[in-house]
Amino acid sequence: MGLNYYQIKKNVLRARKLVIKGTNSAGSGHPGGSFSMAEILGCLFNKYLKFDPKNPQWEDRDRLVLSKGHAAPGLFSNMAVAGYFPESEIETLRKFGSRLQGHPDLKCPGVEFCGGSLGTGLSYSIGIALAAKIDSKEHHVYTIIGDGESDEGQVWEAAMAAAKYKVDNLTVFLDRNFIQQDSYTEKIMPLDEKLEGDDFSEMWKDASRWKTGDKWRSFGWNVIEIDGHRIEQINAAIAKANATKGVPTIIISRTIKGKSIEHMEDNPQWHGKAPDSIFVPMINLELDSQFMIAPSIIAGDMSNLENEIKRCVSGRADYVHLDVMDGKFVPTKTFDHNKIKELRSLTVIPFDSHLMIDEPVKYVRDYVDAGSDIITVHAEVTDESSFGEIHDLLKQNQVGVGLAINPDTELPEWSYKFLNSLDQLIVMSVVPGKSGQKYIEETHAKMARLNLILKEHDFSGYIEADGGVNLENIGSIFADGARVFVGGGAIIGQQDVRAAIRDFRNEVLHSRRRILLDKSNELGGKDLVNKWIGLHVIGEKQEQIKKIAQEAGYL
Amino acid sequence: MNEPIMTDMRSEYSKSLIQAGKENSNIVVLGADTTDSLKTSEFGKEFPNRFFNVGIAEANLVTISAGLAISGKIPFASTYAIFLPGRAVDQIRNNIAYPSPSGKKGLNVKLVASHGGLSVGPDGGSHQQIEDIAIMRVIPNFRVFIPADTIAVSKLTQLMAKEYGPFYMRMARSKTPLIHSESQDFQIGKGITLRDGADCTIAACGITVRMALEAAESLQQEGISCRVLDIFSIKPIDHGILEKAARETGCIVTAEEHNIIGGMGSAVTESVSESYPVPIKRIGAQDMFGESARDDEINLLLEKHGITSFNMAKQVKEIRSKKL
Repeated sequence: MGLNYYQIKKNVLRARKLVIKGTNSAGSGHPGGSFSMAEILGCLFNKYLKFDPKNPQWEDRDRLVLSKGHAAPGLFSNMAVAGYFPESEIETLRKFGSRLQGHPDLKCPGVEFCGGSLGTGLSYSIGIALAAKIDSKEHHVYTIIGDGESDEGQVWEAAMAAAKYKVDNLTVFLDRNFIQQDSYTEKIMPLDEKLEGDDFSEMWKDASRWKTGDKWRSFGWNVIEIDGHRIEQINAAIAKANATKGVPTIIISRTIKGKSIEHMEDNPQWHGKAPDSIFVPMINLELDSQFMIAPSIIAGDMSNLENEIKRCVSGRADYVHLDVMDGKFVPTKTFDHNKIKELRSLTVIPFDSHLMIDEPVKYVRDYVDAGSDIITVHAEVTDESSFGEIHDLLKQNQVGVGLAINPDTELPEWSYKFLNSLDQLIVMSVVPGKSGQKYIEETHAKMARLNLILKEHDFSGYIEADGGVNLENIGSIFADGARVFVGGGAIIGQQDVRAAIRDFRNEVLHSRRRILLDKSNELGGKDLVNKWIGLHVIGEKQEQIKKIAQEAGYL
Repeated sequence: MNEPIMTDMRSEYSKSLIQAGKENSNIVVLGADTTDSLKTSEFGKEFPNRFFNVGIAEANLVTISAGLAISGKIPFASTYAIFLPGRAVDQIRNNIAYPSPSGKKGLNVKLVASHGGLSVGPDGGSHQQIEDIAIMRVIPNFRVFIPADTIAVSKLTQLMAKEYGPFYMRMARSKTPLIHSESQDFQIGKGITLRDGADCTIAACGITVRMALEAAESLQQEGISCRVLDIFSIKPIDHGILEKAARETGCIVTAEEHNIIGGMGSAVTESVSESYPVPIKRIGAQDMFGESARDDEINLLLEKHGITSFNMAKQVKEIRSKKL
C-alpha cells in the first residue's frame, strides 16, 4: 500500500475516466460531485485506506463512508481501480440487475454505507467509530460529506455527538465545492456568507468570507482547511488528522465541481447530468491533458532559496523543481540533499528533484531521505542495472521515478523495459548546467520521435519539459506532449511569480483548447465544434474558445 | 375477571436489557434524553461504555445505531414513540431497513418505543403516536411488535436480542395488567389464543388485550362465545391463526390504540380478505388525533374513540348479524 504522487495522480485520472464512462453509459448520474472529490478519494484509496479488495469484509479494514451518496460514480470508479471489480463493470452503473446502484449500496461488496438520503453519513460513521472504540480496534473511519448536504440538521447533531464522544478515529472531508442541485450553496443556504449577485468567483477569492471552518471549530472539532485538489495537501492533512488525538477532525477541502473538465467546472448544471456520447472523446482527451508548472528555484537568489520556496508557494506552483548539480556531470555546482532537507519543512508542495550528478545510484537514497517526492536521474550516467536499482528503491519509498535525457541523448534502449512504470521523463531542451540558454528547436522533432517509442512501450507517465520554456513556446511544447513545465528565468526570474505562473497556465490552456477544438472538428466538423463551444457556459470561456475556433478557421 | 396485577413495561424492558447485556457483550443501548423515563439509564450504569445518550436528536439516534450495527453491535435504541417512527422515518428506512449486508435483510437494530398510542394521556395529542404501526409495518424488512404486558416485553426483548434484523416494539406509558403466564411462548409471526370461542373473534394488541378478555367475559354471560387473540406480532402477522378464526367464528372485531387506518386492524383485514373473507369491524382512533387526559381520565379519552370492552362487546353483537 501507498503509492507515489504520480501513481496517485494516474489512478485519479483512471477513476475520472471511469466516471465519464459510467455516467455516459447510464445516461444519468453525478459527474460534478464525483470530480470535486476525485483527489480526496484518490489519496484515500491509493495511500491511506487499509483494505483488501479480495476480502472486502476484512475486520480490520478502514471504513470509507460516502455520505454524499449521489457521487457514487466517483466511489465505484475508485473501487474498480483498486481491484474490487473489473473496470468494465462501471458500464452497468444505474442499470437493472447491477451491483452498482444509483447510490452506494451494500449490494456492492466493499461499500460500507447505503448513501443517498443526505445528512446521515456522519451519524453512521460515529456509530462505526464508537463500535471500534468499544472493541479497541485500530481501524479508522473516513467520511466524505458535501456542502449542500450540510443544510441537513442531522449533520450538526452528529457534529455535536462526535465531539462529545471524542471519536478521534474519525476523519471527515467536507467536499466544499460551493454548488448544490439548484445553484451555488451561498445562494441556496449559505455555509459561509450569502452570495449577492452571480459572481461566484468573488467567494472563492476572498478567504475572509469563509466561515465554515469556524462553525466546525465551535462544535469542538479539529479543523484543517486545504485545497481539495492538491494531492500533497490532502496527504498532509490526513497525516495531521491521524496524529490528532482526543477530538474528531474535519478537513475542509475547497474543491471545484466538475474539476478537470472546463465546461463542467463550477457549473451547477453538471451536478446531476451525464455527458453526451458525442463529447466523450474530447472529455477524455481533456482529462489526459492536465498539466503542472514547476518553477526551478536555482533561477532565483541562490543565497536565499528559502525565500524562493516561499515565492513558489505564494505563486501556487504545482511542484518545486530542484536542480541538483555536482560540478562533475555538469560544470556547475548548486546544492545537494542537505539543502533539500532544510527546505522541506517550508512547504508540502511536491519536491521534483532533478539530479544532474554523476553516479546517482550512490546518492539517490539521500534524496529520498531528504523528502523528495519525485527523483529524476540522467540516462547518461545510469544503465539498466543501476537504473533498475534506483527505480525499485524509489517505488518502495513512494517516490516518483524520473529519467532525464540531454538534448544530444536519444532514449537508450535499455530504458524501454522501464517505460511502463516510469513516472516522469524529463526531456532537456537546453544543455544542462548553464543558465540563460534558449530552447533548442530541434526538441520538437525529438518529441515526435519519442512519442512513437513511448507509445510502443506503454509509457503512462508524464513528460517534463526542462530548458528555455517561456510564454512564446509553452503552447507548442504542450502540443508536443509535455505535461510538466519547468520554468527558470521565465517564472522565478520574474518579479511576480504568481502572475508568471498564471500566464504560463493561460498559454497552456489556450493550446489545450485548440487541441480539443481540433478533435471536435476532426470528429464532427463545424457542427460538433459549435456544440463543444456551446457547453462552456460559465464565465468568459465561451467567447475565448470561440475566438480560438475562429482563428483556426473552424467557424 | 380478577382484579388485574399492574406492572410497568419500562422497568421490565430495562431489566431485560441488562440481562441481555450480560449474556451478550455486543448489545449496546442508545437513548435520546429520555433514558431516565425509559429506565435505559440503568443499562448505562451497568455498562457505561456500551450506553450512549445522544441528546434530543432522534435522527442521530437512529443512524448512529445503524453504524454500530454494521460493525457487529446489537443496538437497542429507545425513546418515545412519537419521536421515533414519528420523527425519524427516513433514517429508519434508509439507514436501518434498507442496507442489507450479504445474506441479511436490514441492519440489526432494535427500535423500542415507549409512550405508544392514546394512553400517553396528559401530554396531549401532539405526543400520542397513533401512526407508528402504519409507518413501521409498511417498511420492508422491519418486524413490528406490540406487547400486551411485561411478560411479553421481557420475552420479546430477549427474542430481539437473539434474532438478527430490524425490529420495532411499541410499549405503553402507563402500567399494564398482566395477561400472560410466565410459561407463555412468544414466536415471531405467531398470535396467541387467549380464550377460545365459536361465535366471534376479537383480535387485540397492547392495552386492548385485557379489554378484549373482559368483553368476551361479559359476552359469555349473554351466551355468546367469543375468541380472543393477542396479535402482538403485527408484522409478520399470523395468517394461520386469523384464517382459522375467520373460518371457525365467522366474524372479527379488531381493537387497538392506533389509527384504524394502517394499524393492526388493517393488517388483520388484509390477511383475512385474502385467506377467508368475513365481516370485520375495526376499533381504534377513528382517523382523528387524541388530546390531553389526566391519568385518571385516560379511560374517557379511550372511550371517546370507542376503545372500551363495552364497545367491543357491542361491536361483536352487531357484526354477528352481518355474517355471510
